[in-house]
Amino acid sequence: MKRTTFTKFLSVAILGTMIVSCGDDSNNENVIDQEVFDPKSSLNTVFDGKIFSIPSPIQIAYLIKDLDITYDGAILNSDQNATKYATEYKQALNLGIYGTDLGYLTLYEQKSLSMNYLNSIEKLSAQLGLDAAFDSSFISRFEENNGNEDSMIYLMSDAFRKADNFLKNANRKSTSALVLTGGWIESMYLACELNKKKDSEDIKKRIAEQKQSLASIIDLLTEYNKGGSNDSLIEQLRGLQESFDKISMNYEYEAPETHEDTKTTTFHHKLTVEFTKEVMTEITDKLSTMRNSIIKL
Amino acid sequence: MKGIFSLILFSILSFTVTAQQDCERIVQDCEALLNKNVKTGEFISDGQVYTAFLDREKAEFKTTLFGGSLYRIAASAGSGDNYVIYTIKDIQGNILYSNKHYKNAPYWDFKVTETLPVTIEVELDPDLKVTGCVVMLIGFKK
Repeated sequence: MKRTTFTKFLSVAILGTMIVSCGDDSNNENVIDQEVFDPKSSLNTVFDGKIFSIPSPIQIAYLIKDLDITYDGAILNSDQNATKYATEYKQALNLGIYGTDLGYLTLYEQKSLSMNYLNSIEKLSAQLGLDAAFDSSFISRFEENNGNEDSMIYLMSDAFRKADNFLKNANRKSTSALVLTGGWIESMYLACELNKKKDSEDIKKRIAEQKQSLASIIDLLTEYNKGGSNDSLIEQLRGLQESFDKISMNYEYEAPETHEDTKTTTFHHKLTVEFTKEVMTEITDKLSTMRNSIIKL
Repeated sequence: MKGIFSLILFSILSFTVTAQQDCERIVQDCEALLNKNVKTGEFISDGQVYTAFLDREKAEFKTTLFGGSLYRIAASAGSGDNYVIYTIKDIQGNILYSNKHYKNAPYWDFKVTETLPVTIEVELDPDLKVTGCVVMLIGFKK
């Protein structure tokens, strides 16, 4: 994740201008907005060259659905809580959580509850100033497609992408980071809780495979840690990382196969993941504590 | 001197705003690529927009492609030409794919049977464009 020369150029240009300015007219105070010097400010935020990728929580929801695990609405965050989160920090994390919950409800064809959660998302996103992404057109299209799970998942993922783009453009990368983190934590929490109810090797493997994603989340929150507001969450995630470090991943390269006519490449590598029952219990417990502290009012 | 300072700052701000608007247009171009020529079932966005302003250098990021999915990676730095080169490497540094072998194809699909942690490197093709905004999108299907 390299920082591009644009940031350097901007910093040098502004600094150079300041030096010249101050040298010539030392009595004249040129007050420059701190934003100009902040590498994460709106001037630089889109172009800082740092890119983080967090997996879509929908992918875990799909796996849960494929394994025929019985629907359990009790493990979701209550839709009644949505309006009760007072800080932007809590609102952003819980928007991610509700997004994952809505994905879970959609895949389990919980039509009426889906609309309640959509309503919660609409309220939370309005509080966060994300009306452009979750606008009336999105809401009505989602309602029209209620029952068509593929369309609903597509619309929802598209709305979250628009929100991510809006936040990044509006110098609110720390908020974007929290929405993504909330979504990821909830998907992992659901996977762990459902695995407790019905032990599944596939779910445990998918949980273990998130080792790199967890590292990316910690990097992302550390990069956009406005005023140390993410400190406690980062500490909890580092605790979780200690458990993930006990998972061993063995990768074996094999040449992929590419077909230019169909613009498709198929990967043929092997990846084995090994972990003990105790490690999975540790991960489940830590995720549960973390997630429950996020949804707590 | 104050005037010169203001002029330079204004120029920088104007450049930034223009670049940001360009980036926004490129996001729209890239969105169109995410489901271009798709015959059945649309690719679902991973919910993120990957943007970087590049100037003769590479940006890179780590991601995990999960087993049992078909992925599409789309990249754009402006409509009308294939400006972006991207390369996918595994954790051992082996190159698994680079679109530079396929005329800088702006989108490509990847069948993933086993989960794969990768690093994606992104750069502009120096023969076509030296500086500019690059946008990538990642979509998946079950």
